[in-house]
Amino acid sequence: MKLELITLSGPKLQEDVYEVILPTGDGEIAVYQHHMPLVTTVVPGVITVRRKKEDSDAARDVFATNGGIAEIGGSQIRLLVDEADHADEIVEQEAAEALAAAKKLKEEAKDELELERAEALIDRQAVRLKVAELRRHGRRPRV
Amino acid sequence: MANTIAIKRRIGSVKNTRQITKAMELVAASRMRKAQEAAQRSRAYSQIARELLTSLSNITEVSEHSLFKKRTIKARLLVVITSDRGMAGAYNSNALRAYLAELKADKSAGVKSYTIAIGQKAAQLVSRLPQTEVVGVYKHLPEDLQVHDLQPLIREAAKMFTDETVDKVDVIYTHFYSSINQQPNVLHLLPAGFAETEISAQLNLAEFEPSVEHVLGSAAKKLIDCQLWQAMLESVASEQSMRMMAMKSATDNATDLVDDLTLAFNNIRQASITQELAEITGGAEALND
Repeated sequence: MKLELITLSGPKLQEDVYEVILPTGDGEIAVYQHHMPLVTTVVPGVITVRRKKEDSDAARDVFATNGGIAEIGGSQIRLLVDEADHADEIVEQEAAEALAAAKKLKEEAKDELELERAEALIDRQAVRLKVAELRRHGRRPRV
Repeated sequence: MANTIAIKRRIGSVKNTRQITKAMELVAASRMRKAQEAAQRSRAYSQIARELLTSLSNITEVSEHSLFKKRTIKARLLVVITSDRGMAGAYNSNALRAYLAELKADKSAGVKSYTIAIGQKAAQLVSRLPQTEVVGVYKHLPEDLQVHDLQPLIREAAKMFTDETVDKVDVIYTHFYSSINQQPNVLHLLPAGFAETEISAQLNLAEFEPSVEHVLGSAAKKLIDCQLWQAMLESVASEQSMRMMAMKSATDNATDLVDDLTLAFNNIRQASITQELAEITGGAEALND
């Protein structure tokens, strides 16, 4: 199954994979080869990619995303998300600081637009922090 | 000698100008690199977003969605992207010329025009135009533009489209083909997926989860955001690139001018020395006689 993970800052991943777990509006789904054609929303959460069938859980690639859209059809899956940060790219402390800053932004928000933005920022940083924490504990991430 | 002093001053002032244009060239070059990278990075995303929007718009259930609905065009909203500052060669005038051509086309087709202007230069122009109604002006956008900075604009445009004030939203921006080629371009923003293309059989069969409305409600908006965002990035890259080219030729011109003036200056200086010598020798000859 060909996975294309495309973000606003360029394509992150374009390769054959065995399994993709992604957070959708209706809950987490796992996608394998020959999945039925599906268009669904991706919500802020963790995308997990297993490249080969025999890969262990710990060997999977984990991305924090802030949501987007997934187009699944036959032997390909296209994930169009604004951002996808690989667990290795996230520094836990930075994510924690960013989350605190986002929360502060929410308290200080003056209008609806600012509030929405702050909430989106909180979602995003919370997911990043989660991914970073889970990597530290060496556990498989669950959201 | 009065003449040499004037030329000397001229040389000095041209050199000063050259320093400024040189500095502007360097600044524009570094900004261009950044803007170019940003534009190229997100190109893959917006390309696929566009494909997706287009195939989605061909699905019957989707084409009835408020952001996808095609109507007879009675009014059109034009979003024109220019810069706040000039000195960028033909950047602003090209974009504005393309905009005026669109306005003219609207007028001859009997379509009412609304305008949202981005950038000081567009703002100045539209404020003088009687044939269009200006619904928004966005000036002095921050240097490090973020997607959410464009939210108010997109909301306004989407609102005008969904409440049927306008039947079409087009963006006039400058596409960055390469660092020496940038062309004004018209991007069809709404109704989404305006271009007619083949529908992929796969998508036609696709299920939508949780529902068509939900997927479109959240995703379509994002994909549309991204189209405008890409247009903005392309414009910024074009602007900086054109400014760099303009400043480079200004610097080259200044250098040529300094060379010419230096030559003229040396000519006059040498002429005056020769003349003085001639006068001295002439005087000495006269004394000898």
